[in-house]
Amino acid sequence: MKQLLMLKYFINTIFLLSCTVCFSQEMATQEQDTIIKEKYGLRVGVDLYNPVQTFFNEDRKGLELVGDYRVSKKFYVAAELGYLENTTEEDYLNFTTNGSYLKAGFDYNSYTNWLDMQNAIYVGMRYGFSTFSQTLNSFTINNDPFLDGIAISQNGEKFDGLNAHWVEFVLGMKAELFNNLFLGFSFRGKKMISTKDPENFKNLFVPGFNRVFLNNSGFGFNYTLSYLIPLYKKKK
Amino acid sequence: MKKLFILLLFGMVALGSCERDDICIDEITPRLIIRFYDYDNQTETKNIKQLSVKIIGTENDSLLFSGTDSIFIPLKTTENSTQYVLTVDSNSITELNRDTITVNYTPDAVFIGRSCGYKSVFNNTTYTPVTDKNMWIQKIQKITEQIENETTAHVKIFH
Repeated sequence: MKQLLMLKYFINTIFLLSCTVCFSQEMATQEQDTIIKEKYGLRVGVDLYNPVQTFFNEDRKGLELVGDYRVSKKFYVAAELGYLENTTEEDYLNFTTNGSYLKAGFDYNSYTNWLDMQNAIYVGMRYGFSTFSQTLNSFTINNDPFLDGIAISQNGEKFDGLNAHWVEFVLGMKAELFNNLFLGFSFRGKKMISTKDPENFKNLFVPGFNRVFLNNSGFGFNYTLSYLIPLYKKKK
Repeated sequence: MKKLFILLLFGMVALGSCERDDICIDEITPRLIIRFYDYDNQTETKNIKQLSVKIIGTENDSLLFSGTDSIFIPLKTTENSTQYVLTVDSNSITELNRDTITVNYTPDAVFIGRSCGYKSVFNNTTYTPVTDKNMWIQKIQKITEQIENETTAHVKIFH
């Protein structure tokens, strides 16, 4: 039994890592005339990237909760809720961004599962909103290099009550590791819609959006571990 | 599980570390631009032959200029004034002539961007020479009240 579990696990891991189609021996030997029912329910989970970063990187502390609810055969309503404190170090500035965010949207599962397996390769969209503060910890005036010897670092100020709106395009996959327990990965391309910038400074980092590039775009990813709370079953 | 963890961790570190800084290509803190004019014919520029500029309060060597009618010299952003010792014919020992001028201003930090950070602009500029018996600087005339960029000269010196 343990070996069987290991095999299932291994197969699902391969699925997760290489996107190849797979099935386990156990599944294949099921009777052909069994009516296969798919589970519908609420899946809740946590992002693994932020806790790992919190542990290894003292400039980043955060937590993100994820959830989705299956509304039809292919569609899921999905959301992420998070908190992030991040310090960015640049050549002439150092600032800390602190705030929380909410993303809501949908996922479309384009992967056709074998029997009652519940893996997913999906695309999706999110609308993101964040409220946060920026603290300019220090900055050095960028002057002629000839005077570098007398340059001094100055303390900046804290800017409160900032916000940002953006859209995300999601590409991801989820694999069922054990019964109802999923490991997922998603990559996100982002585009800022609008931000409330601080005076004489700029939102160079936004919680949930991450680094804001020059053309107001960004990217991100998450690794999630989530659990499906099955509510009802429906014929496939 | 351990292998998977290592793989995931490696992926995170690899993706997390590819955030490369932009390179600063925007205009930073402007330098003071002095243009030299002929005292006897005040509409004409007049080149300086040899000039050394020492910025008081720094351990830097002097900035050296020769055969030009305009010079670019940095201002201190950390103080409200910068004092320069301008020495003409700095390569001759006998005819050295040192004149000192003080530039007063109010510096103001202006945000440029991620890679360049903040620059300084200088408002309410004034130019005060320290008078001595033998001045090579005959007259100083301010052109702009503010030093915001390096597109035009900010002050004229007649000699």
